[in-house]
Amino acid sequence: MLEDWLAEIRAAPSLEALEAIRVRLLGKKGELTQRLKGLGKLPPEARREEGRRLNEAKRALEAAIESRAGELKEEALARRLAAEAQDVTLPGLPFPAGNLHVLTQVLGELVGIFERMGYRAVLGPEAEEEFYNFDALNIPPHHPARDMHDTFWLKPAEGFEARFPRPLLLRTHTSPIQVRYMSTHTPPFKIVAPGKVFRHEATDATHEAMFHQLEGLVVGERITLADLKGALLAMARALYGPQARVNFRPSYFPFVEPGVEFEVWWENPRTGRGQWLELGGAGMVHPEVFRAVDELREEKGLAPLYRGMTGFAFGLGVERIAMLRYQVPDIRAFFQNRLAFLNQFREEV
Amino acid sequence: MRLPYSWLLELLPEAPAPEELEALLARLGLPVEEMVLVPRPPRGIRFAVVRDAEPIPGTELKALVLDAGREVRVVSGAENARAGVGVAWAEPGTVLPGGFRVETRTLQGRVSEGMALAPAEMGVGEYAGGLLVLPPDALPPGTELAEVWPEERVFDLEITPNRADALSVLGVARDLAAALGLEVRVPDPKPRLADLPFPIGVEVEDPDGADRYLTAYARGLRIGPSPLTAQRRLLAAGQRPINNVVDATNYALFELGNPLHAFDRAALGEGLVVRRARPGERIVTLDGVERLLSREDLVIAAKKGGDTVAVAVAGVIGGANSEVGEETTEVILEAAHFDPVSIRRTARRLGLSTEASYRFERGVDPNLPPLAALRFLELVEAWAGAEVSRNWVDLGGGKPRREVPFRPSYTNRLLGTDFPERDQLEALKRLAIRIEGDTEPYRAYPPTWRVDLAIEEDLVEEVARILGYDKIPETLPAFFPAADNLEADRPYLEEQRLRRVLTGLGFQEVINYVWTSPAHLEGVRAPAPRLLLQNPTNAEENALRTALYPGLLKNLLANRGEASVLFFELGHVFLEEEEVHLAGLLAGPYHRPGWQPGHGEGFFALKGLLEAAAARLGARVEVRPAQVAALHPGIAGEVVWEGRPVGWIGILHPAIAEALEVPAPALFELKLPLPRGRRAFVEPPRFPAAVRDLAVVVPEATPHAEVAAVIRRAAGGHLAALELFDVYRGRPLGEGEKSLAYHLIFRAPDRTLTDQEVDGFVEAVIAALTQQGWRIRG
Repeated sequence: MLEDWLAEIRAAPSLEALEAIRVRLLGKKGELTQRLKGLGKLPPEARREEGRRLNEAKRALEAAIESRAGELKEEALARRLAAEAQDVTLPGLPFPAGNLHVLTQVLGELVGIFERMGYRAVLGPEAEEEFYNFDALNIPPHHPARDMHDTFWLKPAEGFEARFPRPLLLRTHTSPIQVRYMSTHTPPFKIVAPGKVFRHEATDATHEAMFHQLEGLVVGERITLADLKGALLAMARALYGPQARVNFRPSYFPFVEPGVEFEVWWENPRTGRGQWLELGGAGMVHPEVFRAVDELREEKGLAPLYRGMTGFAFGLGVERIAMLRYQVPDIRAFFQNRLAFLNQFREEV
Repeated sequence: MRLPYSWLLELLPEAPAPEELEALLARLGLPVEEMVLVPRPPRGIRFAVVRDAEPIPGTELKALVLDAGREVRVVSGAENARAGVGVAWAEPGTVLPGGFRVETRTLQGRVSEGMALAPAEMGVGEYAGGLLVLPPDALPPGTELAEVWPEERVFDLEITPNRADALSVLGVARDLAAALGLEVRVPDPKPRLADLPFPIGVEVEDPDGADRYLTAYARGLRIGPSPLTAQRRLLAAGQRPINNVVDATNYALFELGNPLHAFDRAALGEGLVVRRARPGERIVTLDGVERLLSREDLVIAAKKGGDTVAVAVAGVIGGANSEVGEETTEVILEAAHFDPVSIRRTARRLGLSTEASYRFERGVDPNLPPLAALRFLELVEAWAGAEVSRNWVDLGGGKPRREVPFRPSYTNRLLGTDFPERDQLEALKRLAIRIEGDTEPYRAYPPTWRVDLAIEEDLVEEVARILGYDKIPETLPAFFPAADNLEADRPYLEEQRLRRVLTGLGFQEVINYVWTSPAHLEGVRAPAPRLLLQNPTNAEENALRTALYPGLLKNLLANRGEASVLFFELGHVFLEEEEVHLAGLLAGPYHRPGWQPGHGEGFFALKGLLEAAAARLGARVEVRPAQVAALHPGIAGEVVWEGRPVGWIGILHPAIAEALEVPAPALFELKLPLPRGRRAFVEPPRFPAAVRDLAVVVPEATPHAEVAAVIRRAAGGHLAALELFDVYRGRPLGEGEKSLAYHLIFRAPDRTLTDQEVDGFVEAVIAALTQQGWRIRG
């Protein structure tokens, strides 16, 4: 009898069938349950013997049911998993990854290098007053150095003349921020100023009318040209590795004296060949700039603080660094904003 | 400036080899832009003398008979082809530098056996407008020019505006000599001066404009071509040889740096006056252009009768009326020093930059005129057989050197170096700077040709230049900034944070030009331009942008092929004030369709992104219905950030989208800085919430925000959150109705709310909603 039942349990095709068997055998009115209930009618000696036998059978049946249930559940799970399987090689949902413009990336990297050296990044206007762009930087009207800056001059649109009484231009360099900053802040300090600058130039693969610069300015009581070289060397090494070197060549920018152009020794990772890259101009802040700043401060009712200070300033072009790094052949690609171009440059910092 | 190497060697015989020189010039701050090799003329080009030049009737051509060792006939179209001069003749078979092969040809029925050449055709200069014309006795006819015309290396130097002194062979030679410790052979002209009476009177009415005005005199000139070697050098320096007198002025200019001008004596009447131009005064200049002068322009005028007539624009260009030509026999040479600003103004106003104005506006040595004049006299004596006068007029006279204090300790303080005092003083002396005094501060007297050396820092630079910038160490300054600098980078940091938040949400950053066309701004209903470019590179794009979204729309057009575009730009716009804006654009779904459908499109996708950005920044943002010119009137709103209106969001107006031929994208534009979110700590909930759902039927035009506001007001302080979970239209609702379904989440911070309490809150909400005339659904 028990053997038949056990065989029936082992052969149960589903959890439902198994449950039906359990009810039929072990339910309230189940066959075994009935027999157990019938034990009381047996004589005592037979009762004990039969009771033991029936209880053993019950335990055996329960164990068999549990075991079969386990098997059936496993089979059902296996079937479900098989049915749910996906081709994981299918592409995921194409969420946009998001990306900074490549020039923001490079500029951000440069600013980051200087931030780690304790510089603070400051900003200034792009439509600048002639005074800040030229005069205060020791470039008076009719100075030949103005020829070095092909300038986009601005004029108010009709009806806005009264709003813009002073001559405006699109800043030709980030250096006006030097004057703006010093006229409102106390030395010593270290700042960098990233931003767009504009030159009235015919555009071609290497010339753009709009591009980006990073300006640097450090002013204090004993700032030296050697400090400038050290700062630029630290930048060059952060950009191009520990072999990078910095070279100064005499040059001329009216707002610094001495004035230099700086070059960085750069090894092209693709070719392994090195070359000197002209990255920008620099020098020691010209005393005329400090004088203009102090005058401006006095006009604002601030104490003149810059007499007797020394400082260095530098300016460098961002597009050139990006073009070299990514081998971009044409500077004009930066502002066409084609996704196929922008997509290629993924933030490295 | 173009510097022929052979010319440099004449003044500095010990100059290093060209390759070494290039590096040295760069170290001195006179970098070589380009080193050009001007080759010898090709074989087959011979010296020939023009025996006869006969015009060919009905053409501009001439039939030339040449003596090139044998008689040769060629046809030439050159205006300066004339009998009695020497020319460069290319025999048939000669291959010119451009690859052109010279042949015997027939022109106008005449056989031309080879051709007479212009300097450009020979590859020795830029001038292509006429023949190379040489003295007839320059060489024996038939001589191969290649044998007497060596190749020349030319350094094209980039001279910064402060180094006007280096705009001459002498100036470059001096700097090199100082760096190398060599001697310069300064030209020491020794013309045979005759005691001729000076033939005219000279007056300077405006000594501020012309602080030195020297005039010299030569007569008995025979105008003709300059000698071959002089022409060779002038061509290599980029000049066009004209005649022996004009060439002598240019030669002395390039060699020494003083612009010179020769007037035909016959055109000067009783004399010269240096004065300002009269209003309305006109002059035809040497380039054949009639120019209107202004009262600011300094002119040289000839005295004629009671009147004076302008014969030159001082320091810029000569007048055609006093030009030295074929018939000239006497010249007055001007070697002057003019006010740089005045020259620059005039040159700018006339739109002219000449060799003379370029130098005068940068600063010429005021003590150079006597040497330059003597050199000129020596040259015209040799080249034109002139008799030259010992007598000259030098108004204004010599100028003293400037005194500049100099402290070697300051050099080291500014450079961060340890240069010994002795080395520093020696460096300055090599530059011909006179030093006086026994201890610092020394008195330094820079030579007058160094117009750029005016302050102590200038001398520091000279020390560094001569002792070498490579000697400067690398150090890092260590100090703490003054307190008011500490917050200076906040705007930058905020901008960077916004950029990172938006890229984190999937936006691609773009950077557009700040200029655009007023027509585009108008077309996309942006504010009208406030500022215009006076001199745009593209005449149409002459307005500074007044918003960022017009640029984003252009970017959308440039990316038409993309299924999905999510752009942002953070940049400046130019309204009454210059403002920093942040704009975003979404076209197509947030994730584009692939094997799965795309998802997240339109206004609510972009609004969701903006809300996510706000959440990242810890700020509350809401959108209130508003009308915005550029937007769909029914899908437009004002963006309120932390309670302050900062911009707008919506769908581009369909009329604009249609004109641009794109489906209308979703857009936002905000003005920065955005108010910072200020959030205080809130205890995390400790007691369970009670959630009740409520659906409200309202007219179609009633915004969710209005319904939500009514609910919030009525629900009392225990409403912890209100979530819209369904918007339904259609049966069984009436036409023009919609149902808004909300989860109302109630919670108390200190206990579990009872059902009765919550029922009370909901009843109050229902009463308030009903009072609005709305009804509760189901």
